[in-house]
Amino acid sequence: MRVNPSMVPDILADMQQSQAALNVALQQVATGKSVNVPSDNPAASANMVANTIETGQVDQYTQNVTTTLSSVQTADSALGSVVSSLTQAVSLGTEGANGTNNSSDLQALAQQVQGILTSVVADANTSYQGSYLFAGTASTTVPYTADSSSASGYTYNGNNDTNSVAVGDHLSVQVSLPGSQIFSNSSADVLGSLSSLVSALQSGNTSDISSATNAISNALNYVSQQRVTYGNAESQLNSQETYLQQETVSLTSQATSLTGADEAQAATALSQAETDNSAVMAAAAKVLPDTLLSYLAIPS
Amino acid sequence: MGGLNTSLLIGMQALEATQGALNATSNNIANANTTGYTREVVQLSENPMTDSGNEITGGGVSMDGLQSIRDELLNLQIQKQTSLQSSVDTQSSSLQQIQSYFTSNGEDIASELTAFSSSLTQLSATPSNAAAQQSVLVSGQNLARSFNTTAQGLMSSQSEADGQVTQTVAQINSLTKQIAQLNGEVSQLTASGQNGGTIEDQRDALVQQLSSLTGISVTQSDGGETITTANGSALVMGSQSFSLQTTTGSDGMKHVLDSNGNDITSSIQGGQLGGAIQIRDQVVPGLLSQLNTLASQFATAFNAAQAQGYDSNGKAGQDFFTVPAGTAGSAAGISVAISDPSLIAASSDGSAGSNGNVANLSAALTTALPSGQTPAATYSSMVFQVGTDASNASTQSTAIAQNLLQLTNQQSSASGVSIDEETTNLIRFQTAYEAAARIVSTIQQLSTVTLDMGSTQSY
Repeated sequence: MRVNPSMVPDILADMQQSQAALNVALQQVATGKSVNVPSDNPAASANMVANTIETGQVDQYTQNVTTTLSSVQTADSALGSVVSSLTQAVSLGTEGANGTNNSSDLQALAQQVQGILTSVVADANTSYQGSYLFAGTASTTVPYTADSSSASGYTYNGNNDTNSVAVGDHLSVQVSLPGSQIFSNSSADVLGSLSSLVSALQSGNTSDISSATNAISNALNYVSQQRVTYGNAESQLNSQETYLQQETVSLTSQATSLTGADEAQAATALSQAETDNSAVMAAAAKVLPDTLLSYLAIPS
Repeated sequence: MGGLNTSLLIGMQALEATQGALNATSNNIANANTTGYTREVVQLSENPMTDSGNEITGGGVSMDGLQSIRDELLNLQIQKQTSLQSSVDTQSSSLQQIQSYFTSNGEDIASELTAFSSSLTQLSATPSNAAAQQSVLVSGQNLARSFNTTAQGLMSSQSEADGQVTQTVAQINSLTKQIAQLNGEVSQLTASGQNGGTIEDQRDALVQQLSSLTGISVTQSDGGETITTANGSALVMGSQSFSLQTTTGSDGMKHVLDSNGNDITSSIQGGQLGGAIQIRDQVVPGLLSQLNTLASQFATAFNAAQAQGYDSNGKAGQDFFTVPAGTAGSAAGISVAISDPSLIAASSDGSAGSNGNVANLSAALTTALPSGQTPAATYSSMVFQVGTDASNASTQSTAIAQNLLQLTNQQSSASGVSIDEETTNLIRFQTAYEAAARIVSTIQQLSTVTLDMGSTQSY
């Protein structure tokens, strides 16, 4: 059988093939990715959509943890200061109730307790980045304002709702308690008991003083219990942060295994493709110009 | 009785025949790189012997003509593969473009969906923060825009393919006209017993070109070649050609009509025309309808979540996205309905600091749509589909190219010009010509000697 006299189409096809392989290898080395367009690996590209979204979410969850943690810590330290204020009030009340004080002593004590009341109200009005922490979800309203018509002298302007912040796909952490639950709860009214202690001290009624002091120490216990919510939230957020860090690592490694190029492999493929390409071209350069004419003497 | 004159005649015939062979060789060498050229071989035959009494003399040589070496069966196979190849190539290049709309580049739907869902998660932590609200609004606008650009990209690929249909039909018509004309010339030549030669080469090259434009079926008959489209609509019959026409259909796309006015758009296969129609009428509409469904259902779900809550002003949440009524055109038409970030319904109790409804808003992104999948999963299956289509097209193209290379090699091994072979022939014919010339000069010398016999005078 007659042999195809023209090697050109074969050589062109070979050159094109090795050029294409060279391009792919070069692109992988240059971008560090083995999947640059969906057709490179349709399944990996499809999975990358979920990976991208989840990675974005985990980043944002991590930021939420940071933001929320600061606000929870601020609230917790405000409550810490309330607890120490109340402890002080209890000892002042106990001192006022022991019956050895004259009227001016009691007035001085009343003034101190009034000062404590003011500082507790300030703590209850703590804000973090412009949001009031103890106003329920009405975080733009000052929770407690002076109100002479109220028994405690203060009125609650917030609501009884709470926010839970999303820090994971299926995890949201309750990050606040409404002030109404902590400071003006009917069963353990912090502000109310402080203000009754002030009036009791002013009036000098020993039994009123001691019952008000009891009410304060009751409220003190109650506030300490409420602090646990914040402590729990803190530890939940901390452990979630650790989880999210792990999640970031595993998502990154998933992304790498889906679309990343193995550098060593890519570099080897590149040098392989280079060698192939030069071999094809060297062979073409050697074979193509050779015809019988090269060997015939030029007719004289 | 044979004499010197007979030898002279034989020598002269040999010179003529060898000249013919040298012509054929030169022509082969000259056309070594001409597309569609089929090598020609000179046909020599010995003349009948002359029987003059008791003496039998050879009659010399004569040149019968040239024979083109071609394999019609291979040509048919090559035409078929060429149709397939150019159909797949047309689709492949469109799909390369289409898949770029689905490639992660920071502004594709997946990236914008990511940004949108992140912004909602951020809003969960700081629901009353104006910057967080603004970021939801902006990333919502970006998401809508990414739907718009993807849909517009798909539609531009579609209209590009549509333009290709009109162009290709015009090219087909011009080719069939030329083929019909050459067909007539070839049948005249063959009727007179001549080699179709170069005209047949030209016709084969044009038919090959035609097969890259659309799938054809070619049959040989006495009147020349009959060419029809794959579904049997006549394009060329002998020396007559039939033009295809295009007309704008009710879908706004160009439809292809045969010479009788029948709509043959859906039955056209192969070639650039078949590839363009496949992209325009199957691939792009399929993707567009998925994208429209996604845009429409997602917008509806998000608006429903928005309606469950209250905005920063304590009013019931209003629509966040606007989509055209009905699914068609949703991806191209989706936009954000609000421009005031405080209208995002994050609150569940009407107070500005509540984030109770953010969970519902986020859930719209992670809950299955009526189509059965979450927005992200719907989009990723589209990415998978586009990627698979593009990768299949390029794999197919490579496979067919290999096949086609094989076939053209086979064709070339029959019909291609070999410089080495022609050079060898050149030497052969050179020697033969020299020898024939020597016969003539020898006979001349002998004639002189004969005339000189018995004469003192020298001629």
